Amino acid sequence: MLSIKNLHASVEDKTILKGLDLEIKPGEVHAIMGPNGAGKSTMGYVVSGREGYEVEEGAVTLNGVDLLELEAEERARAGLFLAFQYPVEIPGVSNLEFMKAAVDAQREADGEEPVSSKDFLKLAREACKQVHLPVDFLKRGVNEGFSGGEKKRNEIMQMLLLKPKVCILDESDSGLDIDALQVVAEGVNSQRSPDRSFIVVTHYQRLLDHIKPDFVHVLSDGKIVKSGDASLAQELEDQGYAWLKEQRAVGAAQEQSA
Amino acid sequence: MSNWFGQVLDRADSVNDWLSPKRQSSLALLKERQWPTRKTEDWKYTPLHALDTFESGLPAANEAAPSEFIADLAIAGLDSIDLIFVDGVLQSAAVLDELPEGLSIYSLPDLPEGKQSDVLGDFAAIKPERHLFGLINDVLATQGLVIEVAAGATILQPIRIVSAINNSTEAHTRLQVKLGESSSLAVIEQYVGNDACFNTGVAEYDVADNAQLEHYRFALQTSAAMVVGGSHFKLGNRSRLNSTVVGFGSQLSRVDVDVHHAGEYAEAKLNAIYLLDNNELFDLHSTIEHAVPHCITEENVRGIVADKARAVFNGRIHIHRDAQKTLAELNNRNLLMSNEAEVNTKPELEIYADDVRCAHGATVAEIDKSGLYYLQSRGISRAQAQVMLSFGFINELVDQMPNQILAEWLRPQLRERFANMDVK
Repeated sequence: MLSIKNLHASVEDKTILKGLDLEIKPGEVHAIMGPNGAGKSTMGYVVSGREGYEVEEGAVTLNGVDLLELEAEERARAGLFLAFQYPVEIPGVSNLEFMKAAVDAQREADGEEPVSSKDFLKLAREACKQVHLPVDFLKRGVNEGFSGGEKKRNEIMQMLLLKPKVCILDESDSGLDIDALQVVAEGVNSQRSPDRSFIVVTHYQRLLDHIKPDFVHVLSDGKIVKSGDASLAQELEDQGYAWLKEQRAVGAAQEQSA
Repeated sequence: MSNWFGQVLDRADSVNDWLSPKRQSSLALLKERQWPTRKTEDWKYTPLHALDTFESGLPAANEAAPSEFIADLAIAGLDSIDLIFVDGVLQSAAVLDELPEGLSIYSLPDLPEGKQSDVLGDFAAIKPERHLFGLINDVLATQGLVIEVAAGATILQPIRIVSAINNSTEAHTRLQVKLGESSSLAVIEQYVGNDACFNTGVAEYDVADNAQLEHYRFALQTSAAMVVGGSHFKLGNRSRLNSTVVGFGSQLSRVDVDVHHAGEYAEAKLNAIYLLDNNELFDLHSTIEHAVPHCITEENVRGIVADKARAVFNGRIHIHRDAQKTLAELNNRNLLMSNEAEVNTKPELEIYADDVRCAHGATVAEIDKSGLYYLQSRGISRAQAQVMLSFGFINELVDQMPNQILAEWLRPQLRERFANMDVK
């Protein structure tokens, strides 16, 4: 479904991704873990098409469509969704107006008419309830004055409404208390289906107790250095990432001696 | 000197009523004034040449305006006390007989004799002398309202005062508003009419200790209309002012706002929005005087300027030597939609106290890139995202209006105006 091949990317002339490979099949949940600065958020930005992120080499396709050729909005309409680590506040644009514009853009891409305001309000209210946000959050400016947890739940609400094919959750657990974490996890689990895939980017095992991944990958210095099943997350939780440094030191020494 | 100004001076001598002592002193000041040119600092970017050739037309005779005309001025869903001036003449005074307790409103010409000396004392006492059209209004405004709120009274219905132009080419109206201690009131000033006309509207607000005033000035006239004047406030101890000015711009549209912090711990929140198109001009001059300690001013002015339109903003904050512990912020942000659109903005901060917190800024804003990416990442096209963010930039201040019924009335008008602007 989503295929990332040998992806090299830089921001402000600094290369962050250095040969990232990832194959995601329909219905799979992949967790990506790794230390700070490994390139986890960069991967989400590059795949979703953020300005300022230069692809130097490699390919990203979604169901065979070359994403790197598309504008950010076209990637979203192709079925890609990034839940932001730091959702952007947009005062003056209501949450409802924003989400309706997004859903209508998606519908237009799928050859459908825009949803009526009345029907959309109903859908949005249901989604609001599902992520345990009061419905008056629909009237407020996009993420304006929301707490960290409310912003993360607002991201999940958008995911529920847009029904994407591939969701990248960028540290959707950071800054959440246990209740909010469960709301986020329940939102994700309710959307798991044989034709929808997830990439869960996280620092901690905690979220993966609630969203069971099929695969766990360790991202370090811009590439996947280790992959395994769900038990790898527990291992990482116990050991930390110190072993990565040693491995890199050994690798560097080998390169030098060679 | 402008033709019209000469006529004003001639006409002023024939205005004779109980306000004459004040009118005469303003007339004396006017006679000393030079007619503004491009070299006059206060009018540098706002040419008055349209007045050189403007034919003075006296206000229409005191006859009722057509009822459809009045009906069109209504705001749906708003439960307000409406006082409508058409061509400078108050249309129906019936509403004055059924006012809520604690509120008194008098038509200026009908002010009871017993009140005249008080109002004479207050007249032109808050509005600074320097405003040219303020002085002209002093001299010519024979129509207007005196509004008083008794101490402790909370008036739930907003008072809406409309100055509309129908047949006439000239109108001058005056508001003298006095809030007693611990009272609260909302006033909406609305200026309407797009045909060539000259309309001055001056309002003076005396806000006593602990009182709260919610204020709106909607200068929504467009095209050939010329509307000038100002809203001037004096704030007592621990009083609060929340004011929103909205301008559409026209041949000549100028609003002067003055806030005088006269009592400690007073708070003023001032928002202003302008949305200009074609050859329109909108000019906002605001002056905040912090004369005493512990007061707060927060002023946010935002505009979108398209085509060949021009915005002028001059925002002065003057913090006097004794005004320690002042908090004052002034911000003017502009979005320019074309290469020929113009903004002349000048924030002025003058500080003579040493223990204050002040900030000011004026920018030509750009669309926020992270906001743009966020919207695009949800499938919204770049063009649509730009429109949403640009309108949101203005709408943020509409959202902050305390009266949401007014906000819902205003928003579609702004949206329509914005939708018709060309991006060049």
